Amino acid sequence: MSVLATPDIREDEDLRQTVDPDRPWQTVVWNDPVNLMSYVVRVLRTYFGYSREKATRLMLAVHNEGHAVVAEGPREQMELHAQAMHDYGLWATIRKAGL
Amino acid sequence: MRPRTVVMEITLLEAAHLADLVRQFRDLLGETPTSTPPADPALARLVPDAYADDAEASRQFRDLTAADLLARRDEDAQTVLADLPSVAPPDDENRSLQTMSIVLSPERVEAWLRTLAALRLVLASRLDIHSEDDHDDDDPRFGIYEWLGYRLEGLIQAADGAR
Repeated sequence: MSVLATPDIREDEDLRQTVDPDRPWQTVVWNDPVNLMSYVVRVLRTYFGYSREKATRLMLAVHNEGHAVVAEGPREQMELHAQAMHDYGLWATIRKAGL
Repeated sequence: MRPRTVVMEITLLEAAHLADLVRQFRDLLGETPTSTPPADPALARLVPDAYADDAEASRQFRDLTAADLLARRDEDAQTVLADLPSVAPPDDENRSLQTMSIVLSPERVEAWLRTLAALRLVLASRLDIHSEDDHDDDDPRFGIYEWLGYRLEGLIQAADGAR
């Protein structure tokens, strides 16, 4: 999603990564009452290539705890992941990893 | 996960109802959102906030991605419509309960899955569903919602090779 990286944003991003390389960004999937559990598992397997076991574990975390981190990495990549989750109808957000 | 071709058996009556729903979905997508987030909560659910605590970052993200996302939704919907008969269901009850087979290549399966899931999201918004227990026996739209879930579940099982 290179269109997202206006010069300002890129500077901010570089600065953050230089100052704090240990805190990646995260893609978080949130629980909702509509999407079927089997559908969430399938999306995580298809898009991220996760094993059935890992995808099921993440789905159950979403279902039971309200949300789960499904990926970590650079901000631009997490925005791509969130966009893909939205394509599938999953409710996903991006955030900086906690300390 | 190995991509699979899926054959779906569906009655002519179901196919006609589904085509009608998908056409309504396309109409909804065609109502280009004039505000961010879209005023229609069903459309807003399809392009949700990407940053839980940062309205400005969410707005920028939506500005850059929402139009493309809704366009892809429409492409998916067109794929589904192309697989469905374009005629009204037969008046004859026996004929309307006849089944037809829809052969879905792996790519078309994905479009079908996304579209059925999106139809449920839109209906859930219209029905004000906030928990898995929300239900109203007197509202036939809940029946449609549950039928979509049944069809989606069957498609997932078939695509995953679980049966």
